[in-house]
Order: sequence, then structure tokens, then C-alpha cells
Amino acid sequence: MGAIVEFQQVSKRFGRNTLFDDLSVAIESGRFSVIFGAPASGKSTLLRILTGLDKPSSGHVCLRGEDATHLPAGERNIGYVPQTFALYPHYSVFDNIAYPLRLNRMAKEGIKPIVQQAAERLSIADLLSKRPDQLSGGQKQRVAIARGIVKDTDIFVLDDPLTGLDFKLREQLFDDLRQMQAELDATFIYTTSDTLEAQMLAQDVYVLDAGSIIEAGAFEKVFKHPEQRRSMALLGFPKTNLIAGSWQYAGADPKATCYLFDVPVKLVGDAKVCVKLDIDLAVRPEHIVIDPVGDDWLTVTADITLVENLGGEVVIDLEAHGLALLSTMSQADVGGLEEGGVTIGVRPEHVIVFDRETGVRLGCGHVEVDVSSTTKEVAGG
Amino acid sequence: MADIQLKNLSKAFGDLLAVRDLTITFPSSTVTCLLGPSGCGKTTLMRMIAGLETPTSGEIHFGDTNVTELSPSERNIGMVFQYPVVYRGMNVYKNVELPLKHDKTVDKQERKERVERVLEDLDLADSASKKLDQLDNGTLQKVAVAREVARRPRIILFDEPITNVDVSAKTQLKLALKRLSKQYAQTIVYVTHDQTEAMTLADEIALMRDGSIVQRSSPQDLYDHPNDRFGGWFLGNPGMNFVPHEVRANGQLEITAPLFSNPVRVSGFHIDREVLVGIRPEWLRVLTQATAGAVPAEVVQRAIVVGGQYLLTLKVGHATFKAKVPPSMDIAMGETVWVQCPLERVSLFGHDGHKLEASFQYA
Repeated sequence: MGAIVEFQQVSKRFGRNTLFDDLSVAIESGRFSVIFGAPASGKSTLLRILTGLDKPSSGHVCLRGEDATHLPAGERNIGYVPQTFALYPHYSVFDNIAYPLRLNRMAKEGIKPIVQQAAERLSIADLLSKRPDQLSGGQKQRVAIARGIVKDTDIFVLDDPLTGLDFKLREQLFDDLRQMQAELDATFIYTTSDTLEAQMLAQDVYVLDAGSIIEAGAFEKVFKHPEQRRSMALLGFPKTNLIAGSWQYAGADPKATCYLFDVPVKLVGDAKVCVKLDIDLAVRPEHIVIDPVGDDWLTVTADITLVENLGGEVVIDLEAHGLALLSTMSQADVGGLEEGGVTIGVRPEHVIVFDRETGVRLGCGHVEVDVSSTTKEVAGG
Repeated sequence: MADIQLKNLSKAFGDLLAVRDLTITFPSSTVTCLLGPSGCGKTTLMRMIAGLETPTSGEIHFGDTNVTELSPSERNIGMVFQYPVVYRGMNVYKNVELPLKHDKTVDKQERKERVERVLEDLDLADSASKKLDQLDNGTLQKVAVAREVARRPRIILFDEPITNVDVSAKTQLKLALKRLSKQYAQTIVYVTHDQTEAMTLADEIALMRDGSIVQRSSPQDLYDHPNDRFGGWFLGNPGMNFVPHEVRANGQLEITAPLFSNPVRVSGFHIDREVLVGIRPEWLRVLTQATAGAVPAEVVQRAIVVGGQYLLTLKVGHATFKAKVPPSMDIAMGETVWVQCPLERVSLFGHDGHKLEASFQYA
């Protein structure tokens, strides 16, 4: 499958402020694609440019292989679920969902089965005669999504549609949205700033940061092997631990050091490093293990300051020589965790090294032959 | 310190019964979290305890005192709201000190001691002389908490105090609240819709739905042994699996498919034709090879969830359910896996959603 949506060197300026500068990205056809970025990173504007509700300052937007930069919104044939419900309060649920079809002058007899099917997909078929003010927030959101998907098209754009709903309502919609995308066999382009939402929905992820897509690809690849510190920091719950570090050796067999441990680093292909280069060492919370057993761990003593029980998992707040760290484990693996002193361990291969200034991945830790030197005594710790 | 007794407490807004005939005691010197989805009546209940809302019927007692007819100020309670209520013109110290100045029973020396102690306890000592506009939202909320704690009221009510604090300050505030509740042993009622917050902070959770308390238990007990489908579903990300199983008479009553490969004998309850097997996603054992006692399942969906674990959606026959497996267990979609459902982690639920007091064992 090729790209169905392409942004080519798109820039967007508001007065003297630049939101996007030369942003280029291609979105594959038939995938559930999530544009992920912090709040106010420009996700909505990007979607508005895609749907034709906003114009780029320069650059091109291609849809289905053709330049659509100057195509009016009404001719782009995109299903759109905006961020706010924006339901018509004086219309019934049925009429709200039917609205885009009527706008397209579809015949009356054609409308009914389509609305019915969309309502069934979203489990709101019994609400069709109600008015929006008789609905709960979750139900309104379902109506808005139903209205967005009635269009007979292959591209659907959903602008952070679950924001503001409480977690349980969102949880139910995750499954429904994925199933809907599979059944419609269409391209879904969805924005969110919530990592768990991206994790539950994305087949592909596009990380939007500081005006450009800094990383894109299959979600699991980006999650597990991030090329950018920012992607790693934004994706994942609990949040990735970032530890400031520097190079102990930067020649052959380089070695990174930080306040907690030293670790030999295997550099990515063309990475060049020197001793002066500041780095960040990143470790996901699930890779920090309490009281590790066996060899090859980078270990350090730490205090447990808080154990947060999420139910199925625990999140452990740690303090190691003045540094706050997070660890997490499944409830199924928790023994008797007490607040107080422990040893924590990280496997070298789970330490990812980024260039502090550019945020680009330089490499990751690996096991050195001489294991004894991987543990560092911290003076006065 | 005082406990909070609710006696046949109800509140109606027109036709809507927001709180339904509640009779319950929140014990003294404990943190009780009122947890539930929006619209469950938790905020209305708290406002009645505070005296900000008049009950339609029923009584509220603090210890030996019937406070039902008392005004909020006569009830001597502390309150912390969603948004920090602080005096912008004063520094941190003065904010905390202010209510004590109006309290004639507290002399100057004690006032000083109380303020200094609570500032210390909340890591605010360094900020004592700071102006409030220099502080972030999380710290402002701490100041609001400190002021209420320093007053030493019998009861402190918290109304979603963390909801509007940014993520980085959340943990810190949670930590402070947890420490505080232990040190001061005040009776605390804490309203939240966030199960994580409730699990972390509460001694006891009162889970609410439609104006009633569905269950009141310790966090772990509520999580592990919900007495209703609602609790199983509401706690956990995602909640408990509920998989229908046909009950068959085979000399004795048994369930087998879809989750069990060998018949499980069930007894001790009025038998429906069908029961729901409740099991949490993290307790299902997922194996990559055929194993005795395990049933084959197809992986129809997977996602990376909390802590890098995989959440697998599994299908056995017509039944779909979820299982969490460790980050290291890389199972592709479409693959067949074998699932074991440990009986010691199972609860059975009837069609009304209530937990069945059943006994079950392998036949």
C-alpha cells in the first residue's frame, strides 16, 4: 500500500510565529495512524490543513496521489470528527448523524440504513430519537464519532475525540474505534497527546514536536527502538527515566557515565561521539528492577519513597543518590514491597543513550566482558 | 478525631435521586475515598457532609454530634477543593497561619509550632516567605492543604484536589497527602474519579454508583474481590474480564468451556443457566506451548500498555477476553497461545452482576 496522504514541505505561520517549518510526511493507506504530540504542538492545525479547513502558508498537501492543496474542504471527501462534540442541539441524534449525508444531497431512503449502521457500530442505536441535551458526555462523543464515519470514503480524520472523557469511557471506545477502522478498511488519522490512547490505538505513530514530525513508523518499533529522546520521553507510562550523563571514554569501545553507573555503549552505525558531548541516558521504568538476581546488572542502591498501586501494576517512586526514578512492575510479580532501602538494577541493553543537544539516539548499553567495573560506588551516597 | 456516620441519607434534585438512602460509617483517623464515575453522587455526598448541601432526608453525625442542621462553619471541618483556595496577596507562611489567628484557643507559641510543623511536613519550609504568584499549581494546592491541616479540624474533606495539578506535581502532592494522613490521623474523606489516586491514598474506598455505595473495602480487597461486576470493571486498566460459561448438570454442576479445559465443579449458589467467570487480565497465564489445563486461544489484537506490557485480546470460540503479558513476551497477532485460568484468581458472578458466594474446584 502506498501513501494516501502526503504533506510536502508544509509550513504554517501565524504572523511572526512559525508552527510548522517544512514539514513533510507520508501517511500509509489503510492504517490506524496516530499523530502524537504534546498539547499545543499543532496537531489540530495539521488536521485542519489536511481537511481543507485551513491553508498551509507554503507547501503541498496530496490526497490519494493528487495535489489537493487548493481543493475546497467539501471536495476532499474526508470524514471528520472534530475535537469538540459540536452537535446540533435542536436536532435529534438521528438528524445529527445524518447531517453530512444530507449535505451531500443523499436520497432519504439511502440515509436511514447508513445512520442505523453507524449508530449500531457505536452502540447508540437506541438513542436515535433523543436530543443531545438528553445524553451523557460519553454518549455525545459517540454521536459525534458516528456522524464522522457515515461518509462513504476511505479517509477519516479524528481530532483528539476522547479528550475530557473519563478513563472508563475511553477504554470502551478504544476497542470500538479499532474495530471500526478494521471493518471500514479505511485510513484513520487520529490525534492525541495521551500516550495510553496512542498505545491502545496506533498501528503507526507520527511524533509531532517543535513544528515537525520527528519520528514516524510502526508504533511498536517507535516505542521499543525510539530514534529520538523526545519520542521516548513522550511515549510510555510511567514516564521514561532520563539521567544526565557524559562520556568516560569516547574512543573505540566508548563508555558512558552518569551519577548512578557506568555503561559500555554500542553506537548506532554512523554516530560520532567525543568526550565533550553531553548525553542523556534513558531507561524505561519497566526496565528498572528491584533487587535483581543474576549477573550483568548495573546496580545502585536506592530508597523506595512511594509505592503507587494501580491495581494490576505498581509504580514505585525511587530516590537513588538524590535522583528521582520510576520503576514499575506487574502486580503478579510484586512480592512484599516496603518503603525503604533497596538495590535497583538495569540491564545494560536497556540503557539508551541520546545526544543531549540534538536528542538523537547515539546507541545503547551492552554487556562488557569485565562485569565488575559496571557498579560504581557513589561517594557519600 | 471523629468518625462520620451517615444515617438513611438521601438527596434528591427534582426527579433525580443523587444519593439514595445511605447508611454507613467512615471510621475516624482513616482516609476514605469516595470513588466513582461522573454522576455517581460522590460530590453531592461530600457536599452534604460539609454542610454545603442540605439532605432531603436522613442524618449526619460527627462522633457524638448530630451535625445535620449545623452550618458549614459550625461543623469545624477543613476543605480542599479542585482549585487551590489561597490568598494571593500573602506569602506561604501567612496563608497557613491566617485561620489560626482567628482561633482564640491557639496561642502565639502553638500557632508558630503548628505552622512550622506542617510546612516542614509538606516540604514547604523553603517556600515559607515566597509570594504565591511565584508558585506552580501543585505547590499552591499544597499551601491550601497545609492551611487546613494546621487548623487541626476533626475532619478534612478533599474534592478532587489533584485533578487540576500537572502530572509532574501530582506524584509529589500524592506523596505529601499520604504522609500527612499518617502523621496527623485526621478523619479524611477524599472524592475522586481516578482509581489510581484512590488506590494509592485510601485506607478504604467507598465505590459509588447511581447514588449508592456498591462496596466499601480496602483498595487491594476491592480490587481483588469486587462484590459486583461494576467494581471489577471500574477498577483496573482495563477492568476484569467477564466470560460467560454455561452451567451443565453432569451428576454435579460443572463449567468447562471456554476458559477451562477440564470441568470445574461449582456449588453453593442458586444456579443460573449461565455464570460469568471474572478474572483480571494480569492473572491469566499465557503460554506459547500447549500445556495441560490450558485452552488454545487466538490473539486477535495487541497493544503496549502500562509498563511496556502487552495487552492481548484473545478469542476462544465466541468468547473474547484480555490478558496482560510481560514486555519480553513477544506474541504476534493471529498466533495461537495457550491460556490458563488459575482458579484461586477467579470470582463467579450471576446475571444480576452480583458476585456468587460459590465454591468451585476441578472435578
